[in-house]
Amino acid sequence: MADRSKRLAFLATIIATAILAALPLGLSAYGVSTGIVYFANIALSTAWALFSGPTRYISLATAAFVGVGMYTVAFAHVSLNLAVCLALAAIIGFFFAFVVGLSTLRLRGVYFVIFTFGLTELMRQMSSWYEINITNKLNRFITISVDSIVIYEMLLVLAVIAVVGSWYVSTTRLGHALRAIGEDETVARHAGINATWVKVLVFAIAASMMSLVGGVYVLRYPSIDPTVGFGNSWSFQVLIAALLGGPRKPWGPAIGAVLLVMLSDFLVGAFSRYFTIALGVCFVVIVYFIPGGIAPRIEQLYGMLARLRQAGRSASDASTPQAPPTEPVATDNEMGAQRRAVVPRRRSALHPLMRRLTRSGPRLVVRDSAGPPPDAMLSVYGLRKAFGGLVAVRDLSFDIPAGGITGLIGPNGSGKTTVLNLITGELPPDAGSIVLQGDEIIGVRSFEICRGRIARTFQLVRVLPGMTTRENVMLGRMFGSDPTSPAAALREADALLERVGLADRAQLIGSQLTYIDQKRVELARALATRPQLLLLDEWLAGLNPTELKIGIDLIRQIQREGITVLMVEHVMEAIRALCGHVVVMNAGMKIAEGTAAEVLSDPKVTQVYLGEDDAAA
Amino acid sequence: MFEVVLNGLVLGGMYGLIALGLNLQYGIARMLNLSYGEFFTAGAFASFFAITLYHLNPLLGLLVSVPVSFAANWLIYRFLLLPLIRRAPNQDALDGDVVLCTFGLLFVFQGFEQVYWGGNVRGYYFLSFPVHFFGASLPANRLLAFAAAMALGGALILVMRKTRFGTALRAIAIDPIAAGLSGVNVLNLSALAFALGGAMVAISGALVSTFIASSASSGIVYTLKALIVIIVGGPGRMAGAIAAGLLLGVAEQVGGYLVDPGLTLAINYSILILVLLVKPTGLFARG
Repeated sequence: MADRSKRLAFLATIIATAILAALPLGLSAYGVSTGIVYFANIALSTAWALFSGPTRYISLATAAFVGVGMYTVAFAHVSLNLAVCLALAAIIGFFFAFVVGLSTLRLRGVYFVIFTFGLTELMRQMSSWYEINITNKLNRFITISVDSIVIYEMLLVLAVIAVVGSWYVSTTRLGHALRAIGEDETVARHAGINATWVKVLVFAIAASMMSLVGGVYVLRYPSIDPTVGFGNSWSFQVLIAALLGGPRKPWGPAIGAVLLVMLSDFLVGAFSRYFTIALGVCFVVIVYFIPGGIAPRIEQLYGMLARLRQAGRSASDASTPQAPPTEPVATDNEMGAQRRAVVPRRRSALHPLMRRLTRSGPRLVVRDSAGPPPDAMLSVYGLRKAFGGLVAVRDLSFDIPAGGITGLIGPNGSGKTTVLNLITGELPPDAGSIVLQGDEIIGVRSFEICRGRIARTFQLVRVLPGMTTRENVMLGRMFGSDPTSPAAALREADALLERVGLADRAQLIGSQLTYIDQKRVELARALATRPQLLLLDEWLAGLNPTELKIGIDLIRQIQREGITVLMVEHVMEAIRALCGHVVVMNAGMKIAEGTAAEVLSDPKVTQVYLGEDDAAA
Repeated sequence: MFEVVLNGLVLGGMYGLIALGLNLQYGIARMLNLSYGEFFTAGAFASFFAITLYHLNPLLGLLVSVPVSFAANWLIYRFLLLPLIRRAPNQDALDGDVVLCTFGLLFVFQGFEQVYWGGNVRGYYFLSFPVHFFGASLPANRLLAFAAAMALGGALILVMRKTRFGTALRAIAIDPIAAGLSGVNVLNLSALAFALGGAMVAISGALVSTFIASSASSGIVYTLKALIVIIVGGPGRMAGAIAAGLLLGVAEQVGGYLVDPGLTLAINYSILILVLLVKPTGLFARG
């Protein structure tokens, strides 16, 4: 079914392209120039959405990149062949965006919007200044004349490349990485994604497409000046088109671009001098009534039709619950899915596989009292981290024995989570060293630490809210220590979901999951990265007694498979049952270390947990 | 050189003045209002019509433009932005929606101005005689704007620091949820801050129109200017906005004098970019 519709879409694209390519033979000059405007807008808004759609960075730099392309061609066409000029435009656009991205993509939200807007303004100012002061002429002439049919065909090719390319990227690892970054960059980094590189690369690829479009488009003009080259309208038009169509669907921006150009033409005709007002009203209407764009609505409709057809075809099989759509589009839809999410949850708290695990496992693990194995998976030495005047971790040293389960316990605020953040490269320590099997890992970035086979879960669960359970887990497999293609990751993700008892919720999106299920997704995602060391941050907190038992068995199972575990935990039952080695922290310092029985009977430990008076009693 | 720095200070005072209103809207109410500058042009036009049509003191235009702008901004917050706030799943989504929505408003207002007032640049002469001191001379209208900037800025700083209302606004700027949990009526006060921001920008529009001519399409220029000032100064910080305005004004004048007057905007943007990269919370932000 999916394959057939994919083939159909492919065929339709080829036929449509062929028809469009042949059209100019029968079109008037006006028709050709209309086509040029459509294709340029399709290519630009698709390129814009390639980066800004999944990552949610609102860029107003489109005009800057278009202008770079225009000016490259305007400068170079005097002495170089047109093909070389265009290649040059793409290359310069790419590197310009690369440098810009490298320095600014850590800005988020409104700051990035303003920066990109400012960049365009700056480019316009600088080019005006250059043209006025250096060349003494504001206008730069385009001396070659290219037939408008040729421009039409070139832009058609670019538009098709943009749409097909952006569809292709969305199916690759790169596409998944981009989406994950848009959902939660910290999680993405901890799943092994080099977020900076991915962002900069895609930003630059998109920009190079924009420059290319600019380079072709400028051939229509007899001359350009900075207000044409770096005109803000490009940035806004493209942004609106992409948002109108739906920036998170590969074909959404194209639809948006076509509609916006049509709408503008219509408004100019119908309202003439009230055009600007009408356009403004249209924006506001889009924001209020079609958030997320038109494309998801169309897909929703299509999905509904398909389901209706299917329901008609197999009325007898109607009892099988329908998989909810992957995208949360309408509120009523979400509500429905939520209801569906709650019902199977109860059932699967005792998932058959889990039930078997619970029954077969021993109640308490019997550990040899000879102490931790001699070789350490990870050694922490002299670790220190202060936040202003607050010293969160102070001269902390301990070993995590390979193959065992180590507990890291202590009262709230004793610095346990900070230790995890230091180990995973989330925070840089002020002093000390962290050695993973002989390698110093201080200064190593989060995504490399993940690839170095340390995985973690978060104390405040961080499931990527807009991605399905399955996609969340696939992410770890695709970018972890042993990266695979999306197809291979898909197969293994299901096995992992089965393992944590989420097999029946693979299609639910993160934000629809209950708290406990979100914790399961996190664990599955961490396991998917194929860690040798797993860091669990209060993973058992908030579980009911049955769930706790299942959870304890699951952690033990993980350890038996050869994964070393460090668990930050408050649930003493679990510490006693699982941990062969326990480190106790208080106020950033280690106050006790040993077997669970040893540390829990240590008076210093009871004192910090219960307070001086109660401990004495 | 002294005159250059003095010019820079006066120019910077004007920047601070323009930014104060947006600082209330973006810094406190957390709404990036791209149609902000349209109320600047509204203030400018009101003064222009006061003097050209009715031969009144242009500052009397404020009697119309300030209440209108206050009410319009309150309505925008209450009926256009509030539904977006209620709907948004997170800050990123809200920012996107607000940018788009206010951008639409910008077009609507700009369209109206173009239709009813025409696309021409409108300017007039008022208080344009020079004032001399310490060997330098400055036009009186610019000095008036500078004085107004200092007075309004000072008053806002006092209100923010000394009154219950100001304390509540500061709390909202730092953490709206915590402010709400402490009994601050976040939505009402945010709406009020947003409306006050609109009133402030109308004032700045009237004052600036005494020495800079405006057209229907010049609003966005002032929105951007104000944004740069706020980001350099640290959102929500009134003293920061004034200080950043002065800094940018002086840098622009001195840079233009030493390097090239054509590069003043480039200098502004360079400072912005530098601040964004080095200290994105703003030069005068706490912590």
